[in-house]
Amino acid sequence: MTTFAEPTITSPNYSAPKSKGQSKGRLFVKWITSTDHKTIGYLYLITSFIWFLIAGVLALVLRAELARPGLQFLSTEQYNQIFTMHGTVMLLMFATPLFVGFANVIMPLQIGAADVAFPRLNMLSYWLYLFGGLMAFGGFLSPGGAASFGWTAYAPLASSQYSPGIGGDLWVIGLAVSGLGTILGGVNFITTIFTMRAPGMTMFRMSIFTWNVLLTSILVLLAFPPLAAAFLALESDRLFGSHIFDSANGGAMLWQHLFWFFGHPEVYILALPFFGIASEILPVFSRKPIFGYKGLIAATIGIAALSVSVWAHHMYASGQVLLPFFSFMTFLIGVPTGVKFFNWIGTMWGGSLTFETPMLFVMGFLVTFLFGGLTGIILASPPLDFAVSASYFVVAHFHYVLFGTVVFAMFGGFYFWWPKMTGRMLNERLGKIHFWTLFFGFHLTFLVQHWLGIKGMPRRYADYLGTDGFTTLNTISTIGSFLLGLSMIPYVVNVWISRKSPKVMVDDPWGYGASLEWATSCPPPRHNFTSIPRIRSERPAFDLHYPHMAHTDGGH
Amino acid sequence: MRRYRRNLGLLAILTSTLLLTSCSNKNISGLGFPKGVSSVNDTSGPLWYWAWVTAGIVGVSTFILLMWPVFFHRKKSDEFSKQTRYNIPIEIAYTLIPFIIVAVLFAYTVRDQSKITKVDAPGSAPHTIAINAIQWSWQFTYKDAATSPTVTGTPAQRPELVLPLGEKVLFDITASDVDHGFWIPAFMIQMQALPHIVNHLEFAAEKLGTFPGRCNILCGRNHSQMLFTVKVVTPTQYTAYINSLKVA
Repeated sequence: MTTFAEPTITSPNYSAPKSKGQSKGRLFVKWITSTDHKTIGYLYLITSFIWFLIAGVLALVLRAELARPGLQFLSTEQYNQIFTMHGTVMLLMFATPLFVGFANVIMPLQIGAADVAFPRLNMLSYWLYLFGGLMAFGGFLSPGGAASFGWTAYAPLASSQYSPGIGGDLWVIGLAVSGLGTILGGVNFITTIFTMRAPGMTMFRMSIFTWNVLLTSILVLLAFPPLAAAFLALESDRLFGSHIFDSANGGAMLWQHLFWFFGHPEVYILALPFFGIASEILPVFSRKPIFGYKGLIAATIGIAALSVSVWAHHMYASGQVLLPFFSFMTFLIGVPTGVKFFNWIGTMWGGSLTFETPMLFVMGFLVTFLFGGLTGIILASPPLDFAVSASYFVVAHFHYVLFGTVVFAMFGGFYFWWPKMTGRMLNERLGKIHFWTLFFGFHLTFLVQHWLGIKGMPRRYADYLGTDGFTTLNTISTIGSFLLGLSMIPYVVNVWISRKSPKVMVDDPWGYGASLEWATSCPPPRHNFTSIPRIRSERPAFDLHYPHMAHTDGGH
Repeated sequence: MRRYRRNLGLLAILTSTLLLTSCSNKNISGLGFPKGVSSVNDTSGPLWYWAWVTAGIVGVSTFILLMWPVFFHRKKSDEFSKQTRYNIPIEIAYTLIPFIIVAVLFAYTVRDQSKITKVDAPGSAPHTIAINAIQWSWQFTYKDAATSPTVTGTPAQRPELVLPLGEKVLFDITASDVDHGFWIPAFMIQMQALPHIVNHLEFAAEKLGTFPGRCNILCGRNHSQMLFTVKVVTPTQYTAYINSLKVA
């Protein structure tokens, strides 16, 4: 089952001193032809982070335009293109592939596998993602500009009649191509987790992150194929003149249903892996096992199951859905989410807490997500949704939930696993500057947007009137967004200077790692392990390093 | 066991707070929304307020639980703290309490949403106005008047929707081209305007004055200029207004 690394590897240093075979060109060819899950994972992480920066710059352009009433430097059409691409890139070219990146790098290590089940398919998925993304974004180079119908692409606005131009076609087909990469990634992860676990690694000894990768991949298989079908049908309308989403045939509602049947599980596809990262970091810096491990897994399964039955809460105001059913399901999903929250608190409770940068980012995630979850409960109630739906209140809620989860946990994961991935630590002081700038920048940007929504500012408005009373809050939000943008500087500097920081010579630089990746070198050898410790609980690395504390599955 | 009982106490406080929600809705704050401007606000306003009270209680107590170990359970020595993995009573409590909270919120939600979405049968409503959304403005057709006059706006010339004070109006909402959103923020109400679908909404404006209305579903290039004004007048003025309109 599990392949052990070739005995020839004695040094954990996989980027060996430069020889003739290690020129930059050869390294490049080695990377783009690799089938190593770690290298492919790094490609995913690097590419998605570049998309994050690009979409972040787009967001700053939007915020700059909104700082004062009146159109200063964009036309309404340009504004529509930019927010469409901001949303598209952030969700489908940054956050989703970021999950694939983390899962690729970390998951096989956590289950003690040598690679993923289909290494070549893994690389194909990456190329589909990269070129699909470039296609969709390439619309900016077309005569009519990029797609401008919003990342939700509501029919009939997204039809060739109302949104002509090649930019829209590139968007639809690019995302279908990139979505295929995501589907194949999901297949790969599910197969790997089911078939390639090391001896002793039973399902209920897998780390929470691996569990969440499994459930996320299942959601990918439920959500992305309908999306791909919807995209291909939309393109057939646009290109061949079919009438699938013609509103005369009920196409307006058909699109909303199909899109949100993808769109809502997608939110959990983005959330679950990052909940997983938080669940990995918290026990290490609390020096305690995760609290309520099995309940936490049950909650994750509950969230995954409920997430396919709540899509129409995005459509309360359509007047065409059964409000009590979708409202109840939406309220219900708050319960397992609450359970997870208390699992995290329980993990910290009574521990010996320290606050290195990864832990700080997880605290940032918890505080932000708490508020985003509470506004979610408000929005779950249709009468309250009628008051603020499709306003800046929803924009704020959405960013609290997704930025709070994806971005805070991503940086937590970067700082946490940086030594595992590169063999070097990131700087703590710069990390703390990074965290606090990001934290204040984020809350300054998005907290005030709740009030903008309550005052009546709709989302996706390029402009507002001086008499609307939106000016002050918009100006504050814009200032916050630039602070948020600035917070990327200490991070990039940190990454840059980490090239020169001392090498990590131990398996577990944090000292209290629990899951299996902390039982191999930093970075791991080509096939991950030179030996695999006995796996007797959900904390194999901890059991290995602290044998006197070892706990077996016998009972609690 | 002691902690378990404390959780039960907390549960009792939370539920009783929620059960008290039906009392004294007169003195509560609108929390950002004006009070008494429409029949929707009368229903949704208290729900909005009490939902925030609940969210506030849950949020603050969770925040305290979260911050407590941050301040009081920091690392003091190299000694390991107790390696707790499970605590079944607490786990049951933190599954049940959220369930009870959302069940109560859901009960009030259902009660209020059936009030808000209730409409009279066509023809039996006191007043009927047809709303048609077009790229990028609005058409209002006053069906009360024998001639059913229509007012059509443009992005530059924002149309006025005139409503009679204190009288229920049935709105037939549709669109000519793409999806739009009919939203009057101060009235806490919106409804999508969809092509080939007619949505219905019924409410009464309860305060004289003007209120902004906006399209809130992306509808193309001039989405942000698709504005209108709601003007609430006395019923006599309303009748006079619709009779003064020329047939379009």
